[in-house]
Amino acid sequence: MEEGLNIVGRRVVRSDTLAKVTGKAKYAGDLKLPNMLVAKVLRSPLPHARILGIDLGGALKVPGVKAAISGFDTSGVKWGVFRYTQDHPMLPTDKVRYIGEDVAAVAAVDEETAMEALSRIRVDYEPLPAVFDPEEAMKEGAPLLHEGYRNNINVHVHIDVGEVDKAMTEAYLVREDTFRAAGEAYAMMEPYAVVASYVNGFLDLWVPNAGPHVRAKALSNLLRMPLHKVRVRHINSGGAFGGRSEVSPGDLVTSLLTIKAGRPVKLSLTREENATCTRQIHDIVATVKTGMAKDGTILAKDYRVVYDGGAYSSTGPIAASIPFYVYEECYRFPHVRYDGFRVYTNKGIRGMYGCHGRAFLAGNEAQMDLMAKELGLDPVEIRLKNGLTAGEVTATRSTISSCGLAETIHEASAATDFKAVWGKPGKGRGIGMGCVAIMCGFPMGFRSGSSCTVKMNDDGQATLLTGLVDNGQGNESMVIQVASEVLGIPMEDITLVNADTQVTNLDPGAYSQAAAFVGANAVRIACENIRKRIVALAARKLGIEEADIALRDRMACSRTTPEKKMPISWVVREAFFRGEPIEGTGSFFPKIDFEREWISRPWGQMAGTFSFGTSVAEVRIDEETGKITVPRFTAAHDCGRAINPMAVEGQMEGSIQQAGMATLMEGNLWDRGFLLNPDLLEYKVPLACDMPEMETIIVASMDPEGPFGAKEGGLTVRMNAYSAIACAVANATGDLFSELPLTPDKVLDLLERNKGAKK
Amino acid sequence: MMLPRFAYKKAKDIPAAIALYEDAGGGARYLAGGTDLVPLLKLRLNTPSVLIDIKGIPEMMKISTQGGHLCIGANVTLFDLKRHPMVKDTFGALRESLEATSCETLQMRGTIGGNLLQNTRCLFYNQSLNWRTARGFCAKMGGETCNVVPKAAACFSNYCSDNASSLLSLAAQVKLAGPGGERTLPLGEIYSGDGRTPFTLSPGEILTEILLPLETSPGAYEKLRVRNAVDYPLLGVAVTIEGNMARVCVGGIGAAPRVLVQKDFEEGLVKETAREAGREVRPVANATLSPAYRKRMVPVLTERAIKRALKEKRR
Repeated sequence: MEEGLNIVGRRVVRSDTLAKVTGKAKYAGDLKLPNMLVAKVLRSPLPHARILGIDLGGALKVPGVKAAISGFDTSGVKWGVFRYTQDHPMLPTDKVRYIGEDVAAVAAVDEETAMEALSRIRVDYEPLPAVFDPEEAMKEGAPLLHEGYRNNINVHVHIDVGEVDKAMTEAYLVREDTFRAAGEAYAMMEPYAVVASYVNGFLDLWVPNAGPHVRAKALSNLLRMPLHKVRVRHINSGGAFGGRSEVSPGDLVTSLLTIKAGRPVKLSLTREENATCTRQIHDIVATVKTGMAKDGTILAKDYRVVYDGGAYSSTGPIAASIPFYVYEECYRFPHVRYDGFRVYTNKGIRGMYGCHGRAFLAGNEAQMDLMAKELGLDPVEIRLKNGLTAGEVTATRSTISSCGLAETIHEASAATDFKAVWGKPGKGRGIGMGCVAIMCGFPMGFRSGSSCTVKMNDDGQATLLTGLVDNGQGNESMVIQVASEVLGIPMEDITLVNADTQVTNLDPGAYSQAAAFVGANAVRIACENIRKRIVALAARKLGIEEADIALRDRMACSRTTPEKKMPISWVVREAFFRGEPIEGTGSFFPKIDFEREWISRPWGQMAGTFSFGTSVAEVRIDEETGKITVPRFTAAHDCGRAINPMAVEGQMEGSIQQAGMATLMEGNLWDRGFLLNPDLLEYKVPLACDMPEMETIIVASMDPEGPFGAKEGGLTVRMNAYSAIACAVANATGDLFSELPLTPDKVLDLLERNKGAKK
Repeated sequence: MMLPRFAYKKAKDIPAAIALYEDAGGGARYLAGGTDLVPLLKLRLNTPSVLIDIKGIPEMMKISTQGGHLCIGANVTLFDLKRHPMVKDTFGALRESLEATSCETLQMRGTIGGNLLQNTRCLFYNQSLNWRTARGFCAKMGGETCNVVPKAAACFSNYCSDNASSLLSLAAQVKLAGPGGERTLPLGEIYSGDGRTPFTLSPGEILTEILLPLETSPGAYEKLRVRNAVDYPLLGVAVTIEGNMARVCVGGIGAAPRVLVQKDFEEGLVKETAREAGREVRPVANATLSPAYRKRMVPVLTERAIKRALKEKRR
């Protein structure tokens, strides 16, 4: 094993796998508490309307109904990730702003009774003019969703570095294109479900989440309850992808109902509600203007990106910024201007997404390829020329510590014979490459760090306590593996207690790619702290130097005279004898510039480190039908170091599906305010039979600060796989896409436009 | 999503099923594999008071040859039918359409009779009761006009059976049994052409059997879909060539499949036949790909299907 590591870097079966593949893992929807009631939500049938009155009386008369609530039962506090974006009442009293918005809810003894009760609630609406297209919404005279937001502009992120206009005039080649993409659905395997229980003034919630501490804080604000009385508890999560980062209307509804009814309440959303009433992904229109020198150096970038924000702010400023940042963390931009507008429309609420920004990122990459080609350069050369390297500083002043970008480009190219294939793709064929960088964490104030407590039990086993959460990506198994490495005991000897706000300490959560770099680092440090005590005690008992002690296979043993050894459990018991049980804490706080702010001060160190990745897609286009097939997809990812390579590969393969193949088919379809495909039949998640042959390449840049060198496991593929497809299509057709997804009808239009242009 | 309440009855044979239907006095539905009906119940697009389960009726589960026909019991699952040696060797279009239907898991549940009698579909129709109530009922739900084509007092929903197209290209007949007795008629006659009530079956009638002329029939089925499994056809074209006759059937667009018969078909007529197949097709914006594109694909897929059928014929 390299560098004397026992288990880190090994392909181990994840600690959660057995329970999940045998169906024994419990999710919120599986929970049954004594006397539990069923909740159902009455939703707005109108995209925009004033609420004149809500009468719950009819519902309360239905036998078996134990509570009914509306916005008039709330504290009136509105939700928003930032103080300046608090616009979402979750249960409105003034007006509804999208079809499906939560208006009232009931808790009853069973679902049928709850449904009957909903039908007896009377809501008087005064319909208002609505607006569904963000560009329409920005025009003077468009219906306004919120007071005080001129032209429905929820957020305007303005970044201006250098002298963009001057650089454009000096550039040898300038090109401007506009790219569109339909918003996606998260389509988690598990539809949203919440169980809430209120006893003696304490509220307990089981709900899939990407950060229990931020969820509890949001709920304590919304309910005006002290934070320590709101407990978000551990539960398995059937997928998040960014869609479970924030408090959801269902959390408030279920909490209010259980408080009112005095009995536990479960709310389980249908697949349709999961699509229309939790969160969706932004539709995007990105205009990308690039100025290049004759040698292919990018001189300037000028961006205007419009995000369809739906009815409320949600993660507003973050959502309107991230696509830009993951790109500027990858390439050198001496001059850059970015105007990101997040615009209110009368559509469902939108949040962050692991694959967020495909129009922007795929557009940038495909445009770069065409410009490079004009200058006689290929995609590999142009990326190596403009890609950032370790030690460089990004346009908005983040220093890159470790960087395997060039290596991912080289590895992915070598595996696909990229240059040769790109130069002569063959009729109807193409190959394309997409690159990106990902920040591992971002500024979240005092919540940016993580703390872990670890204790050794008298049988030599360990218990870990951490706020870290697992949404299916394997975070729990990852930290158990890290602890196993440091403590020299097998993974099965470690019990994890995590993501429970009453028990665990703050952690940034699983939505800013910080779980490995920050969360696992805190676990490593905590374990190293108690390891020192185990080693000291063992050295004394064995009569050898501390430096000579190794911990492995549940034993403390001498490195030089292996027969000198004792079980770790004996060491632990000795510590109990001395009245000094072995336990300790460890914290990790990333080096971030906390003055940084998404709108008012968009510069400074964004994250402790950055991961890098390159995807290569090979496409075949049926020129009669426009149908694209992808025979092979190769992804190279610099994850610092793979703690469990099998888990990292799994993340990379999932990303090839969710970002790569999805770009051929996934997109929300709208008829004004109505989502036409709120199901998994007409919303096209790629199936196993649609998947290409996949090759995943792990590049280890060994981050100086990451736990055993780790950064994050696989997200780059989630934000460059669509670029690889778009670039491959550009290689095959010589033209740029104008809209994603690249369904066959759009591809055929592209081919035709191209034919027309050639004539 | 919760099912609405209904009474459940199981029939042991066809007369018993019909008797149960008559007892119910309207409001009854037959249940076979349920892959079409159960989702419709959950969406409250169908709210029968009684479900009569016919899937255990033994005589409807057999495949036999009789009087120059292959007789396929309506309850034979798509998966079993797909694997039947005769289907594999004799009826090219059917073999391919069965393979193209949904996915194997659902093929094991869904029956051929149910596949033929599946309701027509529309992005604006196959939605929950809340969705449809908010949007306003369309012509197919008892409203006055279509929600896709404004002001049209008609229904443009799509009939999405892959296997109807191939069976029509094979000149299949169907046997029906009902309160009024038994009858046998060409498959094409069960379609009304009206998306609101797409079938001509009388109340209580059961499709019991499908009859295929026992002739080796080279053919092919081409399906337009976004994903390579599960999806319903956005367009499906079946072609069967028997001697000098070519039968082309275009499905997946509109309430009934369209059959084009070329009596003196020869290889030189491929392009013309393909163009002809697309002439009368009128898709509207009620599926995930644009109507213009779906229409444009009719001659493309027809040509492909004919060419493959010819290739099979030469073999």
